[in-house]
Amino acid sequence: MNQMSAEERMVKRTAPYDLCDIRIRDASEDELKGISEALSLGLSLDEMKAVQNYFIKEGREATDVELQSLGQAWSEHCCYKSSKSILKEFVFGIDREDILSRGDAGVMVFDDDYGYALRVESHNHPSAIEPYGGAATGIGGIVRDVICMGAQPIGLADPLCFGPIDTKKEIPQGIKHPRYLVNGVVSGIRDYGNRIGIPTITGGFFFDESYTGNCLVNVCCLGIVKRDDLLKNYAAGPGEIMILFGGRTGRDGIHGVNFASKDITSTSEDDSRGAVQLGDPITKEPVIHACLELAQKHLVTGMKDLGGGGLSCVVGEMAIELGCGADVNLDKVPLKEAGLAPWEIWVSESQERMMCTVKPENVDKVMAIFDLWDIIATPVAVTTDTGHTRLFWDGEMIFDMDIEFLTGGPVYNRPYELPKVSTKADEVFPELPALNEVMKALMSDLNVASKEWAIRQYDHEVRAGTVLHPMVGKLNKTGPGDASVLMPVPGRWKGLAAAVGCNPWMTGADPYKGGKACIDEAYRNVVAVGAVPNAFTDCLNFGNPEKPDRLGEFREAVRGLGDIARELNIPIPSGNVSMYNEAPGGVYILPTPMIVCCGLIDDVRKAVSADMKKVGSCLFVIGDTKDEMGASLLFRKFGGKGGDVPDSIPARLKEVSGRLLKAMGEELVLSCHDCSDGGLAVAVAEMCISGQIGAQLDLTAMEGDVNVKLFSESASRWIAEVDGADVTRFTEIMGDAATLIGITKGESLVVKGTDLDISVDELRSAWNDPVWKVMGGDVE
Amino acid sequence: MKAEDVKVCVVRIEGTNCEDEMANAFTMVGAQAEKVHLKQLLGQCDPSLKRSLEDYDILAFPGGFSAGDYVRAGAIFAARIKAGIGKDLKDFVEAGKPVLGVCNGFQILVELGLLPALDEVMADKPSAALYNNDSGRFECRPTVLRNDNKGKCVFTCDIGKGDLLMCPSAHGEGKLMSDIPNFTSRLEENDQVVFRYVTPSGEKAAYPWNPNGSPSDIAGICNPAGNVMGMMPHPERVMTAYTAADWTRGHPSEDGDGKKIFTSVMKYLSKK
Repeated sequence: MNQMSAEERMVKRTAPYDLCDIRIRDASEDELKGISEALSLGLSLDEMKAVQNYFIKEGREATDVELQSLGQAWSEHCCYKSSKSILKEFVFGIDREDILSRGDAGVMVFDDDYGYALRVESHNHPSAIEPYGGAATGIGGIVRDVICMGAQPIGLADPLCFGPIDTKKEIPQGIKHPRYLVNGVVSGIRDYGNRIGIPTITGGFFFDESYTGNCLVNVCCLGIVKRDDLLKNYAAGPGEIMILFGGRTGRDGIHGVNFASKDITSTSEDDSRGAVQLGDPITKEPVIHACLELAQKHLVTGMKDLGGGGLSCVVGEMAIELGCGADVNLDKVPLKEAGLAPWEIWVSESQERMMCTVKPENVDKVMAIFDLWDIIATPVAVTTDTGHTRLFWDGEMIFDMDIEFLTGGPVYNRPYELPKVSTKADEVFPELPALNEVMKALMSDLNVASKEWAIRQYDHEVRAGTVLHPMVGKLNKTGPGDASVLMPVPGRWKGLAAAVGCNPWMTGADPYKGGKACIDEAYRNVVAVGAVPNAFTDCLNFGNPEKPDRLGEFREAVRGLGDIARELNIPIPSGNVSMYNEAPGGVYILPTPMIVCCGLIDDVRKAVSADMKKVGSCLFVIGDTKDEMGASLLFRKFGGKGGDVPDSIPARLKEVSGRLLKAMGEELVLSCHDCSDGGLAVAVAEMCISGQIGAQLDLTAMEGDVNVKLFSESASRWIAEVDGADVTRFTEIMGDAATLIGITKGESLVVKGTDLDISVDELRSAWNDPVWKVMGGDVE
Repeated sequence: MKAEDVKVCVVRIEGTNCEDEMANAFTMVGAQAEKVHLKQLLGQCDPSLKRSLEDYDILAFPGGFSAGDYVRAGAIFAARIKAGIGKDLKDFVEAGKPVLGVCNGFQILVELGLLPALDEVMADKPSAALYNNDSGRFECRPTVLRNDNKGKCVFTCDIGKGDLLMCPSAHGEGKLMSDIPNFTSRLEENDQVVFRYVTPSGEKAAYPWNPNGSPSDIAGICNPAGNVMGMMPHPERVMTAYTAADWTRGHPSEDGDGKKIFTSVMKYLSKK
């Protein structure tokens, strides 16, 4: 038989709607590939063959709706086909009794009455194409994940990675300038987060050339839920009504998951614009109220957000959890515009849409709540006992698929290569200028410099529960904080702390140690404010998993995350993987495991901030400083090479944290700040800046070369300020973990025995000005 | 009247987003606060949910982005109120009952014509507006307010003249402007200026202490009768000292500075 083109295999059905039957059963390998391409399914030949076999067994041809649905369900984005086996091996299964749910968001015990929800995910590719809309809809999606646990969203955290905003290098074709992207993304987060009234409490900016072609926009949402009102994300049984509510369905966001499951190219802008959804915070805001009321009144059995894959994913997933099926009246779905083909309706990722499952007797009550808030809500489906999803259009069946097959998806153990790691053996220590110049260079590095330009555009105090703010210290003369702390339940002093941890440079230089370092940083940020680390959520941003070196990095980083989390006995009840973060020309991002750590503090009135409080107190370095210069900010800034990457020792981290928290509980610690980029020197300088106080350091009690003492980024370390009167008790608690390094004094940072002597004002302007200079005054 | 008998209507529509903390603030000073959707006041709901403005003692417009603020901040909310319950609202104000608007709520009171309302209770058209901040950016930052009211405003009757309050600001449009000639002195003559932005030592503010460039550093005003007050900063966010941005640097009291605005209005009502 002559080869048929994909178009010839697609037969338009005679019907008042746009539907094609596709002859798949007798298609050759080439023809299968042709079908996948023509329909933009993103399925490989092997996957197409599995699909073909399914229809051969069914004894019929496929419809375009069915093939499109498979393209969604089997994308990397939806089924984690490349990452699942690695995640299973290393990070899944850290169990603890206080995990209340591993649903769309993880939910942990907050206190006897409440749970808190946490989840982070990526919205990278859409934001690279359309930064404002991409970031805004990223917030919308993550907020919905928290709402559908029945939880009130209480905080957002947005770690972002871009190329250097001051880059003078030529930007590759089809790629937008980092400065433009930063402005768009921050505006998108601002306008969406502020409008829905959820405070953006923390985040992070990471600048590196490797992100120029593929920026990362990770969004995290925290929530609080009465444990009795905690929702499931699936139907409780057959015979329930599925109500679709929120936004209408349109052509925006078609094939978003397929776009997220391949590399960005120079023509992504034109090809994939339609894959970027549009957000509408003022549709979302009442949806939050309505959902919470439904949860509180126990009127729904399950609730789920329409994210990647739209209806095609949500219907099957809600039905199959307890073995149900679903019959859907696709023609009932409210549309933005007439004339959408059934397959477009089925896979559209239009924003602001959610689904709930409702017992028939509660449908009227549910619809009345939606009506008060003017929310469009439509019963579109009923759950069945068939295990199949069936779609109907004006009564005619256009889709009938086994949900197990549809949502099962392939799993791959793709080949990987273990990366070569940075070691002391190949270390080249850089030539350094005078230490004052070194300090100014480190403080003004974009990765250290003040992000106040962005932070103050985000409302970080709406809901009136923000106890420790993202910037701390004297009013309008603030410096960087560690974790932010919320008081989620009015009238209770119990607090929830949240902080981001990530070091892509360490992860690039040694993925295993780097993965551990990311967790270590998030954990110690939480400890720094006096909270006990309780749970992690992670967003794993990596390159193309079909390339063995990229997958090797992923595997090693995940192994590191899993090892340290398991030893700390801290669960990861939710997470997200984003692969294919590659730009044109084979440039791929630094491996970026973004970690958010949540912690609990019994009484927020004992929380500790990072700003130095007074002159004359003692400064301690907590933890062990080692010759671990690999991937340090000092090396990156001044051209150092190699070196050991800091290794976190979980048992030591846990032990030292425990002591520090005990000292904080006894209110012995005036201020505390974690040592990260730039090591001890930058940490002390930042505390000086936020406290507007100088420090006189004498590092002779520490071992090693002075540049190592000052700039090594060894893990599990903090700087603590302690009143002289409390030093005896403090050192008694801390034992060998605390080393006295100086006192707070004067208006300069001085290190005895070195040429470092720099005024706090100079440090402040070096740190404060760089981002403002590039971004400030710009209001596009 | 007794505190527990004071009924507060915290009114909201889509995009209002500070109603929880506004209701909590009134609860913390002993009142009964109810979050009421505008449709409940307009009767566009199930009869069991219908509410009447006259049954309340205080009306509060919380912050947020009502209806998205897509036309002009507060404009859509105000138009819907005026068309539906304009008369009820005017009666409420004329009866001397307190009305508070914070942030977007202040913008709504101006759009409603309830502020500045130099010569009347409720103007047909707005005579002032809250313009874009001079920086062109949304500004979320601590601000210090000085009570400049000479005693007319019911929301500051328990606050000494010249006292400073730390109340945070978070808005993109907070610069109070009017084309009324000699606007500031007219306000002063009527004792309608309530709060000015100042530095922490009480001196004249420049950016960032005045976060929006409001002329004469005006942060909040009341109507000539003193029972309607609108302000850009958020007192409901600092009911305890522990949500103030710098509490870890020491604080004289467990109470936050914003609480005094709520205790003031309760004290006023206790004498009724």
